[in-house]
Amino acid sequence: MRVVQLRYSCYIFRELIIAYSSRMSNEKAVSLSPIKDMELRASRIPGVVSLAQGVPSFDTPEMIKRAAIDAIEKGKVAKYSLSPGLLELREVIVQKLEKEKKFYDFEEEIIVTAGSIEAITATMLAILLPGDEVLIPDPTYTSYQPAIVVAGGVPVFVPLDEKNHWAFDIAELEKRITPKTKALLFCNPNNPTGTIFTRNQLHAVAQLAIKHNFYILSDEVYKDFIFDASEKFYSLAEMRGIRDRLIYIFSFSKAYAMTGWRIAYLATHQDLAKKILGVHDALVTCAPVVSQYAALAALEMADEELAKYHAIYKKRRDLICRRLDKLSDVFEYQRPDSAYFVFPRVKEDIMRKIAPSGGSRQFAIELLEGAKVATVPGAAFGPVGEDHIRMCFGRSEEDIDLAFDRMEKFFENLKF
Amino acid sequence: MKKYFKSFVQYYLKMLTKFVLWRHRPFIIAVAGSTNKTVVKEYILKFLREKYGESEVRGNPRSYNTEIGLPLAILYLESGESSFWKWWRILIQAKMRALFSRKYPSKLVLELGVEKKGDMKYLLKMVRPSWAVVTGIEGSYSDAESNLDEIFEEIKLLAKKLPSDGKLILNFDDARVKNLASASKAEIISYGFSEGADARATDLKTTVQGQVFDFTFQNKKESVEIKKYGRHNVYAWMIAKIVKEIA
Repeated sequence: MRVVQLRYSCYIFRELIIAYSSRMSNEKAVSLSPIKDMELRASRIPGVVSLAQGVPSFDTPEMIKRAAIDAIEKGKVAKYSLSPGLLELREVIVQKLEKEKKFYDFEEEIIVTAGSIEAITATMLAILLPGDEVLIPDPTYTSYQPAIVVAGGVPVFVPLDEKNHWAFDIAELEKRITPKTKALLFCNPNNPTGTIFTRNQLHAVAQLAIKHNFYILSDEVYKDFIFDASEKFYSLAEMRGIRDRLIYIFSFSKAYAMTGWRIAYLATHQDLAKKILGVHDALVTCAPVVSQYAALAALEMADEELAKYHAIYKKRRDLICRRLDKLSDVFEYQRPDSAYFVFPRVKEDIMRKIAPSGGSRQFAIELLEGAKVATVPGAAFGPVGEDHIRMCFGRSEEDIDLAFDRMEKFFENLKF
Repeated sequence: MKKYFKSFVQYYLKMLTKFVLWRHRPFIIAVAGSTNKTVVKEYILKFLREKYGESEVRGNPRSYNTEIGLPLAILYLESGESSFWKWWRILIQAKMRALFSRKYPSKLVLELGVEKKGDMKYLLKMVRPSWAVVTGIEGSYSDAESNLDEIFEEIKLLAKKLPSDGKLILNFDDARVKNLASASKAEIISYGFSEGADARATDLKTTVQGQVFDFTFQNKKESVEIKKYGRHNVYAWMIAKIVKEIA
């Protein structure tokens, strides 16, 4: 417990230093994401199997590519669209959202963005003053911290309860709320754990947001990949009572294998949307128009592909869990019920043996160099992530099998 | 090869569509405009189904509203998308439906999608609406030189082709749409928030649960609450209410 507290203090101190020095020097201290850092390291070693970066193993579905080509050929993509996005795309987005019981005005409350990270950054820039605090779960997606820091904010980690299937600990969350708390930013389903937050937890979070007057950013990029959660997936965007403080974010990157197209959207109350739109306009003018046409085709025509990916990821989830079960003397883990990540904890004796002083980062490097398997060190996702690694099962079954064959051999050799 | 196959599918579906419409002679309400067509169509379907029953009214599934989409909507078939074999199956199903189907709804609510010159002329060769609703003519681009005037001309053709006993329901808050009134011999019914509209919404308020407003049409005023946000939903509700009242 003291170790965890110490880690927290170090993290908060580091972020405060970053925010302070940013204000002093007027420069932002933001470095390359640890995921990309690991990918870069892996790219220098021939024959590495990567379970690091969370990208789908598929190409963008054919009908989406064809729609984009058609839009190019018809001369529809060379001009700026309206800053919040093509009207027809926003209209279809709202129709899709209505099917999920989320109600928005396509003219005033939807902004199509250049990826979800632009949606998050634009929101942060719109709502934060220097030194404002933003709560983020621990562990959570690595790019949230730099997005907050870029906007002059301070990320504040809220530890998730691993034993309780990585749930929010509402008491811990409330403890970290201060007069400077401006927002909670979280990913549901959660990256890196692949777990979902329950309706009850989310309602408790919403009540805290109302009580302490802060915004909630709900990034639901993996919402289409729920496998066998104990309850139906619930989104805070279904809750009308908090629509003036909720920013719902969805990206096409993962659901439709479109990471390179950089296309996403946010939905929020019109008053807040106006503020964010000003920042979005200043940052990118509009999302890439060709990608907007691709996104339109995705929503209108790619339901079958989505179902196909869902089935494939479920199969891969089952495979990676089976393979992890065989390595039960090395890892223990919470079975992911969504997304395409698993976040196993490295058992203490193994960690001591492989990375006596370097923690999860050293462990991941040893795994990369010794077994030629790239993973992401858990510390990248927050202090609670230490002693874990993130594995992505967005890769093919062959890659997963090959990675685990290599790891089995690597850990076997350790015994002698 | 693909191009020829597409032309063949388009021509074949057009012929079967004309045949099925000739056989069953449904009453057709067209929904045109550059925006909000699908929501308006869904509201009209809902309101007319309340009045005439589920099986008597049909609309385009999803947003099938173009040269291939519209025949699919009328024949009530799914798109074959990129599959050659699916398209063959669809063509066979289309033929069976056109020739042998006995039951057909008495009213069709069809979105007509136009993008460029000639699109409306093509669609009107297949369908002859008795009534038409025009939602709005708005652009998706930031420059003023987008093709809105071209779309206006296309919709004007629809207005011109309506019969004299037909009805043209126009958005009076949209300057371009308002101008369509002079192009048609059909009866004009205007709607909107603007003063002077035949059917008018006033005192619009957004609440946590949706929107509330007053609606006045044919000297009757009522308070309305809809559980959705945005003026486009208010427009859609108004149009559907007008259609239901006068149908």
